[in-house]
Order: sequence, then structure tokens, then C-alpha cells
Amino acid sequence: MMVRPIYAVLEREVIKMFRQRTRLVSAMVRPLIWLFVIGAGFGTVLARASGVDYQQFLAPGVLGMTALFGAMLAALTLVYDKESGVMRMLIIAPFAHYWIIIAKTLSAALAGMVQALLLLVILAVLGYLDWKMSFALLALGIVMAALSCAGIGILVAAFTRTLDNFAAIMNFVIFPVFFLSGALYPIANLPALLKLAAMVNPFTYAVDLLKHAMLAPLTQSGTSELSVAVDFIVTAGFTVLAVIVASWRFSREQGYEPLIHILTGKRG
Amino acid sequence: MNDARPAALQSAVHAQALTKRYGDVLAVDNLELEIPAGQFFGLLGPNGSGKTTTIHMLSTLIRPTAGSAAVAGYDIRTQPIAVRASIGLVFQDSALDRTLSVAENLRFAGLLHNLTPALIEQRSGELLELFGLNDKKHRPVGSLSGGMRRALDIVRGVIHHPRILFLDEPTIGLDLPNRRKIWRFIERLRTNTGMTVLLTTHYLEEADACDQVAFIYSGRIVERGTPRALVDELGRHIIEIEASDPSSLIESLKPRLGPALKEGDLAMFRYALEDLGPIAALQTELGPRVNALRIRRPNLNDVFLWVNSSQAQK
Repeated sequence: MMVRPIYAVLEREVIKMFRQRTRLVSAMVRPLIWLFVIGAGFGTVLARASGVDYQQFLAPGVLGMTALFGAMLAALTLVYDKESGVMRMLIIAPFAHYWIIIAKTLSAALAGMVQALLLLVILAVLGYLDWKMSFALLALGIVMAALSCAGIGILVAAFTRTLDNFAAIMNFVIFPVFFLSGALYPIANLPALLKLAAMVNPFTYAVDLLKHAMLAPLTQSGTSELSVAVDFIVTAGFTVLAVIVASWRFSREQGYEPLIHILTGKRG
Repeated sequence: MNDARPAALQSAVHAQALTKRYGDVLAVDNLELEIPAGQFFGLLGPNGSGKTTTIHMLSTLIRPTAGSAAVAGYDIRTQPIAVRASIGLVFQDSALDRTLSVAENLRFAGLLHNLTPALIEQRSGELLELFGLNDKKHRPVGSLSGGMRRALDIVRGVIHHPRILFLDEPTIGLDLPNRRKIWRFIERLRTNTGMTVLLTTHYLEEADACDQVAFIYSGRIVERGTPRALVDELGRHIIEIEASDPSSLIESLKPRLGPALKEGDLAMFRYALEDLGPIAALQTELGPRVNALRIRRPNLNDVFLWVNSSQAQK
């Protein structure tokens, strides 16, 4: 019953993603800058840790970052849909409104996955991929990173009324999620407060999963700090929780009717 | 969908004491509405009278505070999904994605209604033909004119062949030629499909084509009937008198012509008789107090004005 409606939302996301070329290009350039500028730069002052140099250490982090930005920005189109009125097509369709949240989360995750895969292809072409990595774990890592980042995005989107405060979302959500994770440095040595922040950040677990896939085969001790099982359970659990809370918020918004007023300008 | 729908559907919309309250404001007040299947029904009223709120309750987008309604035989409170599957809704503002093409928008809407891609393709072809948009299929919606976008929004609203179509001010903001075009499309659509149409508008000349109209004022239905009967009820003629001091004119003519409406320096009287003989000498009689005097047939606009003024006085 819900296959076609969900497919409709996914298809629209993919069409729009490839139509907005500059956004796709910048989504690829951003991680490459981190990897080749920051990674190379800090690599000169940092010692090799656990048998990998800093650039190698950074690779799972920037892959996770690509999924993070891709999925977050796609999830925030929920707000754009409210503003532009396309949400009208969704709320009048014959299914319960929580399906809108589920479909949007899946489509955001798809956007994150596609962009992460594109980055992998670029890294492979540039010769920066080590083929010793575990591809099954990598696939799982990308899926879980994309899903949990879509979860963060849909949660923010459900509570956001306009994209006017997009800069605030960037500064107070996306950047902290990225910086307060294990993407740039191991979390073990962080000061207690930052470490705590990293431990409650689902993105930490997604990046850790990517480290299992990409770095563990290269080193004896590995750079992951948590087990695959913990990473999986936390990212999956968080995604489900985020969808439930966002759905609750979204249907509550329906019940209290501000959404329909945004969409109709409260006339007549 | 297992339905509790009666086999022979008599009424498309049946609302009983439907009420919506926002804080202290009664947006819709004990509304009673009965629309037989297949009818073209006009819900008319000034801005803020509760038209849109009524449509949003009937299409399950907002919950009524009290009362009940059945749409296509389904309860709007307990069977919202079945209701939404049976209706099409065209909002006052566009629901289209401007960055997608015409065909992509229809595909999106069709898939959301669980239609197969082949069926969407077929119906898009038929409907775009009917609405004169055939050659625009691959154009981005953002590049269409306002009139074309409105037409496409209606196509979007009926791609799943709903039994009941809600049109909320479908011609608002359009110029006259485009309004006429939209009306021809709706007429064709009704002839081709026989669907029930509930329309709100305040362009009353457009409601002349309705089988039945209801006037809504402050959330209550204050007058209803066929456009013809309502116009006839008003009288045979409308006498419009332009004067520099219409108020005193209205006072002096009240014993002979009854109450009047005043709009700026215009006074409007209803006249019940076909024979204008008794007032033939009115202009000479009034002399220089009058700048102009016109006698014309009443129309729905007059019904609207009289209904509103009698309500406003309450």
C-alpha cells in the first residue's frame, strides 16, 4: 500500500539532488578539502596513531560528514515543503501523516547514502581507498550513518517552522554534531565534558562503525573505540526514536493546526 | 479499504452541526450542509466567513470542535484516510513543486495516491489535453503563467479521479480571461466525469452555473437555494440611484420602495413588480437630488450584498 507513496518521495529527492548540481559539487568538494587540506596539514604535526597517519584516520570521518550533510540538508526540505506549499500534496494524500515523516527520513537517508557513495568513487579514482577494508561493514556503516543523520535532520525539521534560521541550524546542529564526534580525533582523550557530548551524539557511533570498516583491517589495535554491536544498536535505536518523536510532533502540529495555517495563510 | 459506505450513495457531503472554534472565535458555527452526489455546489461568502475552514474540516485537514460530517459516506473523524482517498482538493495557493516539470508533479501526486505509473501517464495525457496544457508537459512548473499553474493544480487535484472535488477559490488572483478558462475546464471536467464539485468563491457571476449555492456568514449558512430562485426571491428589478446625499434619499423613498443598500453615493432598492409603471416618473420627481438612475435585473451579486447587509445588522 505504501510502497508507491514512499517511492514518490524518494524519486523526487533524487531528481532534485541531481538537478541542483552546484549543491552536489559542493557536497563533494567539502569532504575533499577536509581530507586533502586539513588532513594533510595536520598530518605533518600529528604522530601516527595506531599505525595509520592522520589523513587515513580522517577518511571515515569525512565519509560520515558527507552522509551527515547530505542527509541533514535533505531532511530539512521538510521545512522547505511546508514553506513552498508542496506539503499540501502530502497531507491530502490518503495515508496517515506519520508516513510523511517516515518517507522523508528514508529519502534523506538515501540522499546521504548516494553522496557518500559518490565520494567513495572519487576517493577510489584518486587512489585514496585501501582495498583491504571490510566492504560489508562499510555498507552497514554508510547506511547507519545516513539513517541516523536523517534522523537528526528530521527531528530538527519537525520542530522548525521556517528556513530563515538555517544559519542557526548550521551553527548549532550540524557543526556541533560533526565536531563533537570521533570524526576528527579519538574521543578517548577528550576533556570530560566534550567526551560526554560525543557519547550522546549518535553521529559518534556512525563514524565509529565506518572506522571499523575502513581502518580496522589496516591496523592491529584499530582506531574504533566501541564495538560494532553498540554502534549498530545506538544508531538504529536513535533513528527509530527520532522518527517517532518527529511523527508525534508533526501530527501534533496537525492537531493544533498551525501547519494548515502556514499552508493556507489562515484565510476564509 | 473495507468500507462502511452505503451501497447507493445519495449525498456526497452531509454535515451536521459542524463547528470549529479557535479560542473565542467561532470560525464555523453549527453548519448544516447537504450536497447530493453529482451536484455543482457553491459555498459563497465574504473573506473570513468560514468557507476555507469548512473545506479543511470536510477534507480532514483540521478537526472539528463539535458536530459531524460524512464525505462520500465516510466519517471525517473516524475514517479520514477513506475520506481523503475519495476527494480531490485544490487549495487557494498552489501545491505544486515549481522546480519539477508538469509531468513530474503529476507523477508525484499520482504515486502519492497509489496509482501505477502507467495509469498516471495515461490520465496525465487525458487531463492535460482537457486543460490545454498538452505541449507544456516537460516544462518546469516555475516557468508557467499563473493561469496555467492554476489549471495544472486542478489537474493535480483530480489525477486520482476523486468522486468529490473541493475547489477553494480556484480563480482567485487570476485575470478575467484566465478565470473564464478555468471555468470552462471545470465545466468540461464535470461533464466528462460527473464528479461532485464543492466550490468556494467570491466572484459571484461564476456561481451562476452552480446547481445550488449557500451563503455563509460568520460561520453560519444564512441563505441557500438555486441561484435562479435566490435571485428571483430578491425581486424583479434593482433600482440604483446615484445621489450626493443618498442617506436622506433612502429615508424619503423608504415608504414607497422599502429598505435600501448604500454604497458610497449609490442607493440600491429592490423592486418586486415586473411592471415599472408606478415608478416611471421617479427621476423627474426626484429632480436635481439625483445624479443618475438605473433600473436593471438583479443577479447573485445583489443576493450576496443583501444577505451580507441583513447579517451585518444583526
